[in-house]
Amino acid sequence: MTTVAPTDRTAASADVDLVHGPIDTATLLAAVGDVTAGGNVLFVGTARGVTDGVATRSLTYDAHEPLALATLRGLQREAVARFVLTACRIVHRLGTVLPGEASVAIATSAPHRREAFAAAEWLMERIKRNVPIWKCEERPDGGREWAHPATAARPGGDA
Amino acid sequence: MHDDTTPAAPGTLAVALFAGMAAVAGRRRIEVPWTGGTAADLRHRVAEALPALAALAARSGVAVADRYVTDDAPITAGDDVALIPPVSGG
Repeated sequence: MTTVAPTDRTAASADVDLVHGPIDTATLLAAVGDVTAGGNVLFVGTARGVTDGVATRSLTYDAHEPLALATLRGLQREAVARFVLTACRIVHRLGTVLPGEASVAIATSAPHRREAFAAAEWLMERIKRNVPIWKCEERPDGGREWAHPATAARPGGDA
Repeated sequence: MHDDTTPAAPGTLAVALFAGMAAVAGRRRIEVPWTGGTAADLRHRVAEALPALAALAARSGVAVADRYVTDDAPITAGDDVALIPPVSGG
């Protein structure tokens, strides 16, 4: 009988990233693949061209980068432990993103699909609450507005 | 004029601003008078220094040295401090 060892994932620093150009989602998904994983989920959040009937020309993302990376790393580690993931990678894009382009991508893998799906959803919910990244909606008429959701609790409330 | 690497003047605290707060302030850093206090005090001090920031400051978290801190965390002049208004990533 042959034992298959899981891929060595000591390069944990690559598991979360902030990029200033297009996100390579295919590479992200491939990176979480493993012979011990039977469920692989790729979630891709893309810039909407229309929100509540208002056209968006582009989105520009700002971030507190060191805190965003630290917060993402913490969430990634928590997701791996909580959902017993085989692997998990998160990438968020900063700067200007055009409609249809990916602004965030999460890849998860687990022995079975349920945990991989649940982890991706769990991560997106927390990213939208606590990771210090903001989008500015830029309209065709030149208007622009930073989004600071009114219903949100103070970020870092779990600190 | 100063850039982000200039040390804050004595008795003041430099606070990093982002997104809508930076847009309102017209810069990514504001200096507030500081002789000591907590993260909760910092929100008030920023609102007093620039009232246009009051609404977002009241809804902001506080980060020191790239970590979120609780409202009762002490802050000293020279700390690397940022206000984190409600986020909208994703």
